Amino acid sequence: MDKLANQLRRDAGRIDARVSDELDRRIAASLQGVTPLEDSTVAAAPRRTALFWWASSLTGIAAAAAAILLINPSRPELPATPGPAAIVAVVPDIDWNSETAVFTAPLQQELDALQSDIRKAEAQVKADIGL
Amino acid sequence: MKTESQLIEAAQAGSPAAFADLVRRYRDGLLRFLLTRCASYADAEDALQDTLINAYRYIRSYDPRWRFSTWLYRIAIRNAANGRGQELAAVHDLRDEESDPLLQCIAESETENLWVSARRVLNDEVFTAMWLRYAEDMSVNDISAALERSTSWTKVNLMRGRRALDAELNGTYNESEAYG
Repeated sequence: MDKLANQLRRDAGRIDARVSDELDRRIAASLQGVTPLEDSTVAAAPRRTALFWWASSLTGIAAAAAAILLINPSRPELPATPGPAAIVAVVPDIDWNSETAVFTAPLQQELDALQSDIRKAEAQVKADIGL
Repeated sequence: MKTESQLIEAAQAGSPAAFADLVRRYRDGLLRFLLTRCASYADAEDALQDTLINAYRYIRSYDPRWRFSTWLYRIAIRNAANGRGQELAAVHDLRDEESDPLLQCIAESETENLWVSARRVLNDEVFTAMWLRYAEDMSVNDISAALERSTSWTKVNLMRGRRALDAELNGTYNESEAYG
């Protein structure tokens, strides 16, 4: 045992403090008015029965349903957006076996009209300049 | 004569008399400890009373893996820190030799009581660790439990406390040859 430890022990013993009879009586009287509390560690984790879990699940579902009902009516009307099924309905059925000409004919007609206009314009220019 | 564990069981069953018997051997030590933390003797007595009442109130949560004294000191430390301790901390610097309860309980001698020096140079937590180690002979594990600190923290701070106290004493007491 080193000197410092010895001196600390000795000096702690030199602190002269004792519980007086009056304090003893006071403490005893105070204790009479106190009841020990239940162990909080036991009270904090009671056994849960299956009924408890069912009841808590149903309560949770009911609360979620109530929240949905309360929140939805207060929302502004949103424009209807088509779901995936509606989009499929909008797109026309395409007969991939039909002839290509069915799709290219309008374009061909437009091309022919433009070429005819060019020819007419060339003839008009030649006439104007006397060729 | 009942053993400590029998007294604990009786106290847990709701017997204040058994609890009073149980704490009888620890009361003087607790009072000495509280004197180092309080501004007056009356405050230390009140703090002791509060500590014992709280201990009895929560006696059913006492874990027998701990030493009973460790559990009691833990309550006393919390009590001092949460309640009167904060209020008293404010007057800590104002107390003088006449009103200091610790000085009142120390017989006049040629050398200063080391615990007075310790209180001057150590912070509250390190002082408490030193007190529990050297005045109450607690193990490092018990001190860690009482202070709610790791054992590493306790070991390091006990060492730091000793060094600080050594340095203080070497400066103060070299001439008196108290420590050679």
